[in-house]
Amino acid sequence: MRGISGLTGLLDSARVKIPSLAVFAVVLLAFPSIADEYWTDVGVKVLLYVVLGLGINVVVGYAGLLDLGYSAFFAVGGYTTAILVGNYGVNWWLTLPIAMLVAAIGGYLIGYPTLRLRSDYLAIVTLGFGEIVRVTANNLEFTGGPDGVILPFRPVLFGYELAGTQSMYYLVLVIALVVGLGATSLTRSKIGRSWESVREDERVAEAVGVPSIRVKALAYVVGGVIAGVAGAFFATYIGIVSPTSFTFLTSVLILLVVLIGGRGSLVGVFLGALVVQGTPEVLRSIGDEWRIFLFAVVLIVLMFVRPLGLWPARTRRGARLAQSAEEPPLPEVGVAPGEPLLEVRGLTMRFGGLLALNDVDITVGRGEVLGVIGPNGAGKTTVFNCVTGVVRPTAGKVVLGGESLIGRHPHQVVQRGMARTFQGARLFSDMSVVENVLVGMTARMNSGVLTSLLRLPAQRREEQRAGRQARYWLDFVGLSDKATRFARELSYGDQRRLDIARALASNPLVLLLDEPAAGMNPSEKADLMELIGRIRDRGVTVVLIEHDMAFVMGLCERVLVIETGAKLTEGSPYEVQQDPRVIEAYLGVDEDDEGDEDADGDLGAGPDDTTAPTLTKGQ
Amino acid sequence: MNDFLQYTLNGLTVGAFYALVALGYTMVYGIIRLLNFAHGDFFMVGAFLATGVLSLLTGSGLPSGLVVVVALVAATAAAAALGGVSARIVYLPLVKAPKLSLLVSALGLSLAVEYGTALSQGTGFRSVPHIGFLSAEHAIGLTDGVRLTYAQLGVIAVSLALMIGLYLYVTRTFTGTAMRVLAMDQDAARLMGVNVERTIMMTFIIGAGLAGTAGTMYALYYPQVNFLMGFLLGLRAFTAAVLGGIGNIPGAMVGGFLIGLLESYATGYVAGRWTDVVVFGVLIGVLVIRPSGILGERVAERV
Repeated sequence: MRGISGLTGLLDSARVKIPSLAVFAVVLLAFPSIADEYWTDVGVKVLLYVVLGLGINVVVGYAGLLDLGYSAFFAVGGYTTAILVGNYGVNWWLTLPIAMLVAAIGGYLIGYPTLRLRSDYLAIVTLGFGEIVRVTANNLEFTGGPDGVILPFRPVLFGYELAGTQSMYYLVLVIALVVGLGATSLTRSKIGRSWESVREDERVAEAVGVPSIRVKALAYVVGGVIAGVAGAFFATYIGIVSPTSFTFLTSVLILLVVLIGGRGSLVGVFLGALVVQGTPEVLRSIGDEWRIFLFAVVLIVLMFVRPLGLWPARTRRGARLAQSAEEPPLPEVGVAPGEPLLEVRGLTMRFGGLLALNDVDITVGRGEVLGVIGPNGAGKTTVFNCVTGVVRPTAGKVVLGGESLIGRHPHQVVQRGMARTFQGARLFSDMSVVENVLVGMTARMNSGVLTSLLRLPAQRREEQRAGRQARYWLDFVGLSDKATRFARELSYGDQRRLDIARALASNPLVLLLDEPAAGMNPSEKADLMELIGRIRDRGVTVVLIEHDMAFVMGLCERVLVIETGAKLTEGSPYEVQQDPRVIEAYLGVDEDDEGDEDADGDLGAGPDDTTAPTLTKGQ
Repeated sequence: MNDFLQYTLNGLTVGAFYALVALGYTMVYGIIRLLNFAHGDFFMVGAFLATGVLSLLTGSGLPSGLVVVVALVAATAAAAALGGVSARIVYLPLVKAPKLSLLVSALGLSLAVEYGTALSQGTGFRSVPHIGFLSAEHAIGLTDGVRLTYAQLGVIAVSLALMIGLYLYVTRTFTGTAMRVLAMDQDAARLMGVNVERTIMMTFIIGAGLAGTAGTMYALYYPQVNFLMGFLLGLRAFTAAVLGGIGNIPGAMVGGFLIGLLESYATGYVAGRWTDVVVFGVLIGVLVIRPSGILGERVAERV
C-alpha cells in the first residue's frame, strides 16, 4: 500500500504516463541482457550517478544550498566501507549503515557551523570541505595515502555473491529505486515544503514558523546519507577507493546531473546522469581532449536552449486541494477575553548609533484589534520585528500569555501563538498557493524525518488533516479556486490575502498585520476589512500597522501612535484623531510623501489640518 | 626569522597573482552574482599567449625589457578580448536566467577554453623562454640569506600599480560608477540610463585583462605553462575573493595577499601537501566568525 502510493507519487511528480513508464522499466530491466559487459558497466555508473543526483537534488534543488564539494560525502561513504571491509574484514552489508551514519555526521558537521552563511559563501565553504577531505585522505596512512584502500570482498546476498557487473547493475537499480522513493516521500512532506520555503526566502520561512537552520542542516544530512550509500556501492563495485575518485571535478559532475537534468525532478535526475556519464562514453573514440571539449560546448548550448535543464520540475504543482475543509480550534490560553494577552514593556532597540525604539510599552487584550499608526520611519515595523524575534531588542520585555518571548527565534514565536504578515506580501513565489498555506502550518505539525520517510500512518493522517485545514483557510480568505496556481501568478490583492492565510495557518492567538491595505483600491480595502473582522470574530487578537486612517478607525477599538521610536499616545480612535500632537506629527512629515497621502487625507478631517507641515523629522 | 622573511616575500609574490585574479572574480560576482569559473582560464590563456610572444621575440635582437613589455601588453589585450567575447556570447544572453544556469555555462566555458587550449597547444608542460634579468640570480639581498629577486619585485610592483589604477577607475570614472551602481540594483541602473550590457562587458574585459597580466607574469616567474594552470590558481583566487568579502575590490586584494602568505607559511612550516587543508581551514574559520568575509559588508537583515 505504502509502496503503491510512493509509486504514484513518483508518477505524479514526473508527469509520465503509465505506458511510457512501463517501457522505461522494461528497458532498465532488460538493459544488461541487451548490452555487453562494457555497456552494462556504463549502466552501473549511470545508476550510481542517479543515486548521487537524487542526493544533491535534495541539497541544491530543494533546499537551494549550492554545494560544490558534494564528493566529500561520496568519499566518506566509500572510505568507510573500504576501510572496514578491506582492513578489518567487516561484512559489507554491515558497513552500509555505518557508511550512511558517518556520512550523516559529516553532513551535520559541515552544515551546522556554516548554515548562517549566504548561499554563495556556502559554495566556497563546501568546496573547501571537499578539498580538505580529499587532501586528508591523500595524506593519511590510515586511508592508504595516494594509493587508496583495496577491498577484496564483494557483497554476498542470500549466499549469492554479487560479483559480476550484471548483478551489481540490478543491485544499484534497486538502490536507486529505493532512494528515489525515499526522496519522493520526504520532498512531498512537511520536510520537503520546509526545504523549498527556505530556498525561496529563508527569512520569511523562519518568520512563518519554519526552523530554518535545522531544516538546512537536515538537507545536508539527508544529502550526505544518500552520497554515503552511493559511496559504499561504488567502493565495492570498483574494488578500490582512492583520492583521485573524489576531486572537485567529481563534485562538479554530480552537480551537473541536477543542473542539466532540471532541479527538483526525478526524470531530470535520470536524464542528467545519462548525459554526464553517458556522453563521454559515446564520444570515447575521438580522444580525451575532443571529448571534454565537445561536452563543454554541449553544456553551453544546452543552457541557451533549456536554461532550466532538460526536464525541469512540473510547472503545475502536484499538491492538490483537499476535498473537505476542517476548522482548527483556537489554541487554549489561560487568558480571559479582554485580559492582557500580549505585553510589551520598555522595548528599546538600538542600531549602532540610531535609537530606533525607545522604551515602548504596549498592552494588547485578548480578542482586541489594536491599530498602530505613525509616520514613515517611526519604528512600527521595528516593533513587529522585535516582538517576533526577527531582531533581538536591546532592552525590554515581550510576554505572550504569561511566557517571555525574548531570545526566541521567529519560528519559536510562531509556535507559541503569534504569526505575522509582511509589507508587500513576501510569498514563496515558486510554490503553489496551497503549499504556501501548508508551510504556514509547519509549526503545528509533529512528524519527523523517519515517519515522513516511511509514510507511517500517523504522518499521513497529519498530512491529510493539514490539507483539510489548508482548505479551510483558503476558503476563509477566498482563494480556494486558485489553490494550485503558483503564488507568483496571483494578483496583488490575492497575494496579500494569501500572506494572511499563510499566517493564519499556524493557528495563532495573535496576528500581526504589517500594512495589509497598502496599495489596495477601495473595494479591495472593504473586502480586507471584512476579512479582518471575521478573523477577530474567530477570537484571534489582531495588531495592525496601517496608514489608511479610515481603515484603522473602522476596525480598531484602540489606536497606538508611534513617532520617532517612542509612543506618542494611545486611546480610542476618536481620542487619537483629536489629539493635536498626533495631527502635528502625522501631517508634519507626510506633506510631500506621496505614498502616504491616504493617511494625510483621512486623518486631516478638518481643512485647517492640512496646512501644518511644520516638522521634517529625520527619516 | 630569516626563514620567516623569505616566506613572507615569496608569499607576497604568489599573493599578488591571487589578488590580480581574485579581482576579476569579485568584480563579475559583484555585478551579475556569477561565480565565473572560466576566469582562471583567462589567466591561463594570457600565460600561453605571453609564452608565444616571448618565443617569437627572444633571439630577434630586441632588448629583453622591451620583449617582456610587448608580451605583457599582448597577453593582457588577448585575455581582455577573450573576456569581452565570452561575456557577449555566453553570459549576456543569460543574464536574466536563473543563477545556476549561468553557473553551468561558466563551467562549460571553463572546460571549453581549457580543452581548446589542450587541443591546439598540447597537454604537457611548456617551458617559457629564459629572460636574463628575471632569473633567480638577479636579486636584492636583504639580510643574509633573504633575497628579493627582480622578478618578485616586478610582480609585486606591477600588481600594486594595477590595483591602485583599478581602484581609481572604479571610484573616479563614469564607467566605474556605472559598475558600482549596477552591482546595487540592475533595474534601477537601467532606468537611470546606464548601458547595462556595455558595463557588464567592460567588467569582464577589465577582469580578464588583469588575469592576462597575471598570467604573463606567472609564466615569466615560474617559467612553464600548462592548460590546467588556470583551474588551480583560479580556485585559490576564488578563495581569496571570498575570504576578503566577495564583491568587494579592496577585499579581493587583501584576500589575495593573505592566501599567498598563508600558503607560503603553510608550505614552509607545515608541509606542502597540507597547504590546501590549512588554506581552506582558515577560510572556513574566518567565514564562521565573519560570514561576509574580512572586508565584506554585513548584509542587513530585513523582513
